[in-house]
Amino acid sequence: MSAGEAPVQTATRTYRPSMGMGWWLRKGHYFWYVVREFTALPLALWLLWFLVEIKRAGGGAAGYSPHGSTAFVVFSAVCLLFALYHSITFLSLAGVIIHVKVLERPVSSRLIVASQFGLWAVASIVIGAVLIGFGR
Amino acid sequence: MTGPVGHARTQRPALAHLFWWFMFAQGGVIAAVLIPVHILVQGILGPLKVVPVADRHYDTWVTLLGNPIVKLYLLVLIAVPFFHFAHRLRYLLVDMGVGAAKSVPAQAVFYGGAVAVTAITIWVLLTTVPLSLG
Repeated sequence: MSAGEAPVQTATRTYRPSMGMGWWLRKGHYFWYVVREFTALPLALWLLWFLVEIKRAGGGAAGYSPHGSTAFVVFSAVCLLFALYHSITFLSLAGVIIHVKVLERPVSSRLIVASQFGLWAVASIVIGAVLIGFGR
Repeated sequence: MTGPVGHARTQRPALAHLFWWFMFAQGGVIAAVLIPVHILVQGILGPLKVVPVADRHYDTWVTLLGNPIVKLYLLVLIAVPFFHFAHRLRYLLVDMGVGAAKSVPAQAVFYGGAVAVTAITIWVLLTTVPLSLG
């Protein structure tokens, strides 16, 4: 290359795809995907509150007063909606993730999903019965 | 097995991946199966006085908290879902265009946070009410 020639551009440019911040609002599927991922935050907050509630029990009977405010009930109701959405979406995936064979024949995904929802129902009944039963 | 340049290559299982994916999956299952009923009963029905609930009676609640099986249950209920939450929230940030959420420091913050919650939960459960087998 002589001094007067322009340098040949050999470096390749990397294509960097970019999505605007509002991509998840364009389609219903995108929106509900983000809601599904977001469920983690309210559930984490509720569990942290629960941990604080357990810690408060160590302060003695005089200082213990479980939360009962309207704000707390509303907070819990919102968290419950997110919790149910997490449960339904997560357990519905079981049919895709779990592959089981019985007598050399694959168990249908519908049956696997039904078993997961059945497990959820049984666990909820047992835990609810324990929490309420010991409260009497 | 021999590699392309003739060096012996060993196939090592990705144990770290195995651990984090296992914790992510188990955290998702526990959050899905166990958390809704706790929120419904302890967060809504109990405070509204629709049903009597164990944690609203101090003596009963402390007796339960002293039981080792209850302690173990609460550890699993509270700590394990945070490994699921850490992964979901980190990738939610990535999806929202926060590239830094892919970085090693971000991984340390999110997964380290789950480990920290586990440690704090163990500490709370062991120090709040003494172990009781009665």
